[in-house]
Amino acid sequence: MIRRRPLRTLLLVSVLLLVGLGWHNRAHLQAFPDIISAYTAKEYCSCRYVMNNPAPYCDGYVSQYVPVSQLLDDQSRKRVTASGLGRSNSAVWLGPRQGCQLLPAASTSPPP
Amino acid sequence: MPVSLLHWFGLILAMASSAGLVQAESWPAADWPLEPVPASPAIAELEAYAFPARDDEQRTGVRTDALLVIRDGRVVYERYAGPTRAATPHLTWSMSKSLLATTLGVAYGQGRFQLDAPVAQYYPPFARHPGIKVGHLLNWASGLDWREDYEYAPLKSSVVAMLYTRGRADMAAFTAAHADAVAPGTRFRYSSGDSNVLSAALKGMVGAEAYADYPWTALFEPLGITSAVWETDPAGTFIASSYAYLSARDLARVGLLMQRDGRWGEQQLLPPAWVAFNRTPLATYQAQTAQAGDAVPGGHWWLNAELPGAARPWADAPADAFAALGHWGQGLYVLPTEKLVIVRYADDRDASFQHNQLLKRVTAAFAREVQP
Repeated sequence: MIRRRPLRTLLLVSVLLLVGLGWHNRAHLQAFPDIISAYTAKEYCSCRYVMNNPAPYCDGYVSQYVPVSQLLDDQSRKRVTASGLGRSNSAVWLGPRQGCQLLPAASTSPPP
Repeated sequence: MPVSLLHWFGLILAMASSAGLVQAESWPAADWPLEPVPASPAIAELEAYAFPARDDEQRTGVRTDALLVIRDGRVVYERYAGPTRAATPHLTWSMSKSLLATTLGVAYGQGRFQLDAPVAQYYPPFARHPGIKVGHLLNWASGLDWREDYEYAPLKSSVVAMLYTRGRADMAAFTAAHADAVAPGTRFRYSSGDSNVLSAALKGMVGAEAYADYPWTALFEPLGITSAVWETDPAGTFIASSYAYLSARDLARVGLLMQRDGRWGEQQLLPPAWVAFNRTPLATYQAQTAQAGDAVPGGHWWLNAELPGAARPWADAPADAFAALGHWGQGLYVLPTEKLVIVRYADDRDASFQHNQLLKRVTAAFAREVQP
């Protein structure tokens, strides 16, 4: 088979290797898409409500090379929700000494 | 009833000498004493380095948010940029680690723990790492299999997972779940996990009830710090790796405490032995393998120590300089011989900024001739 179909064999071996690597790193890969929305929600919340910086500044402050699809700042509840790479995460301001905290993944619902 | 002349003379002498003492040593009260320094070419050169035209679009180059210089307890220079103001509690990032170490120093002085006690004694989930002692964590030498990378290698970064994904519910427990890679104390590996385990251990040292206010009652309130914010994870543990916020003027109070060997006015807040530990290099640190400019790890503070086989990390700063350092250019530098404390807040997104270049210009502008 290797001699008759060298390209197909190479492809098969590559796919098997990728699957193996993916399985080996499954915990990392599963969590990976959450990074950008969690980072953005947490650092935006602290930029606005702990450091008291203006909103336009905080927009630039949290921007990374991976874009977020949505950033919602619920000012009445001081709660920030960011979405990106198919995941959503929220951070909320808790108080003057406690600052902001990421909410547990389960309590984060995607924005309507 | 006549009062003896000698008695009055003695009283006046005592009052004069105590007034003299107060004058000789400045401390901040509600605010810092000011000692404005006239403009000079050296200050102009410092500003050209620290405050170039600010690039907020591409975020390149040196982007200082705040620069505050204290000389012998008085403000000699202060400037803010970007959105940061004197009252802004700025994110300290990893300077939080050194703030935790200083908080721990108060607990150490109260006899709440021993440096050579197993961490598990104060934080039971560490029972699976019985050989790791409190001192190992403070030296970033736990031996745990930890990966400290930020935005350039996020997939397997332990710190990104701890702060934002798999570890965020309980950061100390996430760290404790890491395997032992090498024997404790034998290898320096900078780890934000080590700091959060120390933070969880502090809870065991002082008790869960006192813990929630402990950084304030132990450290911030005695120093007159009013701007501090310290975020916790959902387990209630202060995120000592990353998330303390203080105004520049308040952070400088911690610098002055360290410059004066743990003494605040009449009160010895930290045992001098604790500050000496903070300022002692990790014994097994391999300075010759470090990158140029990398400071030497002490007890959760960074040192400009000159070690055998390696150059001093910051060639133009004195060898007794030490610092709290954080991501994106945050720095609290203490130069005890020059009696200088420097706070720099920044938003440096590339590697343009160098500690040595800043310290060289600050000492040129503000250090007095040191008395032999």
